Amino acid sequence: MTVLAPPPRLGDHFGGRLGFLGLALAYALLVAACVVSLLAENELSLGRNPLANLVKTAGEFARPSFVDVWFGNPQLEYRSDDGNLLRVENRQEVERNHLAALAEATWTTIRIATLGSLLGAILALPLAVLTARNLSAPRPLAWLAKGLLDVTRSIHTLVFGLVLVGIVGLGPTAGILAIALHSLGSYGKLFAESIETLDMAAINAVRSVGAGPVQVFFNAIWPAVLPQFVSSHLYIWEFNIRDSTILGIIGAGGLGLLISEATSLFQWGRLSTVLLVVFLLVTTFDALSRRIRKALL
Amino acid sequence: MNAAPSSAAIALKSLACSAGDRTLLAIDELVVAEGERVAIVGHNGAGKTTLLRLLSGFMPPAQGTAEVLGRALEEPLPAAELRLLRQEVGQVLQGLHLVARLSALENVLIGSLGRVTGWRSWTRCYPPPEVASAETSLHAVGLLAHARTRADRLSGGEKQKVAIARLLMQRPRLILADEPTAALDPSAAAEVCHLLVKAARQATLITVVHNPALLPLLAERVIGLRHGQIAFDLPLARVSDQELGDLYRPDGGTEHRLWQAPSSTPSAIRSVAFR
Ligand SMILES: Nc1ncnc2c1ncn2[C@@H]1O[C@H](COP(=O)(O)OP(=O)(O)OP(=O)(O)O)[C@@H](O)[C@H]1O
Ligand SMILES: [Mg+2]
Repeated sequence: MTVLAPPPRLGDHFGGRLGFLGLALAYALLVAACVVSLLAENELSLGRNPLANLVKTAGEFARPSFVDVWFGNPQLEYRSDDGNLLRVENRQEVERNHLAALAEATWTTIRIATLGSLLGAILALPLAVLTARNLSAPRPLAWLAKGLLDVTRSIHTLVFGLVLVGIVGLGPTAGILAIALHSLGSYGKLFAESIETLDMAAINAVRSVGAGPVQVFFNAIWPAVLPQFVSSHLYIWEFNIRDSTILGIIGAGGLGLLISEATSLFQWGRLSTVLLVVFLLVTTFDALSRRIRKALL
Repeated sequence: MNAAPSSAAIALKSLACSAGDRTLLAIDELVVAEGERVAIVGHNGAGKTTLLRLLSGFMPPAQGTAEVLGRALEEPLPAAELRLLRQEVGQVLQGLHLVARLSALENVLIGSLGRVTGWRSWTRCYPPPEVASAETSLHAVGLLAHARTRADRLSGGEKQKVAIARLLMQRPRLILADEPTAALDPSAAAEVCHLLVKAARQATLITVVHNPALLPLLAERVIGLRHGQIAFDLPLARVSDQELGDLYRPDGGTEHRLWQAPSSTPSAIRSVAFR
C-alpha cells in the first residue's frame, strides 16, 4: 500500500529559512505601507510645538493636585484681565473635596469590577460545562455556547458599556453588566480548560469503590477543579479592576469619570492624582491576587 | 486452600465482550472460588484489563452470563446495584489513580465511601473511627509519615502503596489488581505483592502480572489469556516455561500487531528472587 503524503496546509509554507525570510519581507512591506500612506495623508505630524507642550504637560504632571491639600493657596484670587477681583478660592478645600470624590469613585470602580467579575463567572460556568470537550455535551448546544463565548470575548468592554448605558442608563449598573459580559468569554475558556484537565482515571478510581455521583463529585471533581476556578477568577477579577478604571469615561461610573473630567479640562495635575490612585489600586490588587493564586497551586 | 466450589466468587459462562464489531473477550467458562488467588498473564492487548473491567461492572457483557460475588451482571445493571457490587470489589487499576490534590490520608479514606454516606462524605469530614482505620492502613504500607502529603507529591511506588492502603480500607471480598507492580523497582514490586496478598487474606485476589518472577508471590493458579481467549488455566506448580513461551510467541501472522516478549525469561518463575 502506498502512503499518500498529507495535503500541504497553509502553515507549511511558512516553515524553513526561506519561509521566514518571506514572512519578514511581508511584515516590512506592511509597516512601510502604513507609514507611507499616513505620511501621504499628512496625518503623521506632531503638532505645532510638541516640545514646549511636552515640557508644560510634564511639569503639571509632576505636581499632582493632591499636594494642594497641604500646600495650596488658601486664598487664591481670580481676577479678570483688567484687574477686578472675580472670586477667591480656597485651593486646600477644593482639593480636599476632589480627594473625597476620588475615594468614592475608587470604591465604585472596585464595586463594579467585583460584582461584574462575579456575575461573569456565574454566567460562564454553565457555558464552560457545555464547551468542555471531555464532558461531551450535545453538539449543537456546545457550538452555541462556544460561539457565545467567542463573541463576548471579542467585543470590548467599552462597546458593551456604550450599548448598556443606552439600555439601563448612566451609572454603575451599566459598568457591572459590561464587565460581566466581556469577561464571560475569558471565564468560559479558562473554566472549560480546567474541566478538560480533570483526571478521568482518578474519577473512575473513586467510582470503583462504589461511591455515588454526589460522593464522586465532592471527592474527585471538586478538589481538582475548585483551586483552578478560584485562580482563574482572581486572574480575571484583577484584569477587570484595570478594565473598570476606564468605564467612567462613557458614563458607566467610577474613576474613569474623573479621568475624562481632568483630560477635557487639561488639568494634568488632577489627572496625575487619579492615575496615581489607579496605579496603587492595580498594583496592590495584582500583588494580592498573585500571592493567593500561588498559594492555591 | 479450602476452596469450596459451591461459593464461587466469579462464574463466567459462554461470555463475550465486544467494542463496536470487535470481540475483545470470549470465554467459555471460568469459575474462581472464593478465597482463591489467581494470576492472569498474556500479551499486550490480550484482554486482561478488559476482563477486570467486566468483573468490576465498568464494561457490560455482550453475550453470556457473568456472576460476580453472587450478583449477575446483566446488560443494564441498575446504578444502585452496581455501586453495591463495587463496594465489595477492591481495585488497583493499571496506572496510578489517586486524586492528585488530596492528601495520602484522604485518598485512603476514599476507600470508606461505601460505608460513609451523607454530608460527611461530601465535606470529607470522616468519622473518627474511619480516620483511625485509615491511619492503620497507611501504617500497614509504611506510609504513615506521609499521611498529610498531597498525592501528586508522592513517588510512583508510594502512590501504588497508597492505592493498596485504600484497598485495605475498603475491606473488599474480591480484589482486582491490574499490573500493580508496573513502574516499580524489583524490591518495591515484591513488597507491593506481599501487601496485596495481606490485603486479600479474607478475600479473593485476581492479579494481572507481566513479570513471571512475581507469580509465586501472588497466585496459586495461573490463567493465560491470548487474543481474548483462555489459552491455559493451570495450578502454579504446573505452569512451565513452555506455556508462557507459547503465550507470548507471535502466531502465524493472522492478526497484525506489535508487541514485545517480556524481558525476563519465564525460567525466572522457579527462582523466587525477592523475599
Ligand atoms: N473501549 C474499547 N474500544 C475498542 N477497543 C478496545 C476498548 N478497550 C479495549 N480495547 C481493545 O481490546 C484489546 C484488549 O485490551 P486490554 O486493555 O484488555 O489489553 P490488556 O491485556 O490489558 O493489555 P496490556 O497488557 O497492554 O495492559 C486491545 O486490543 C484494545 O485495543
Ligand atoms: Mg491492561
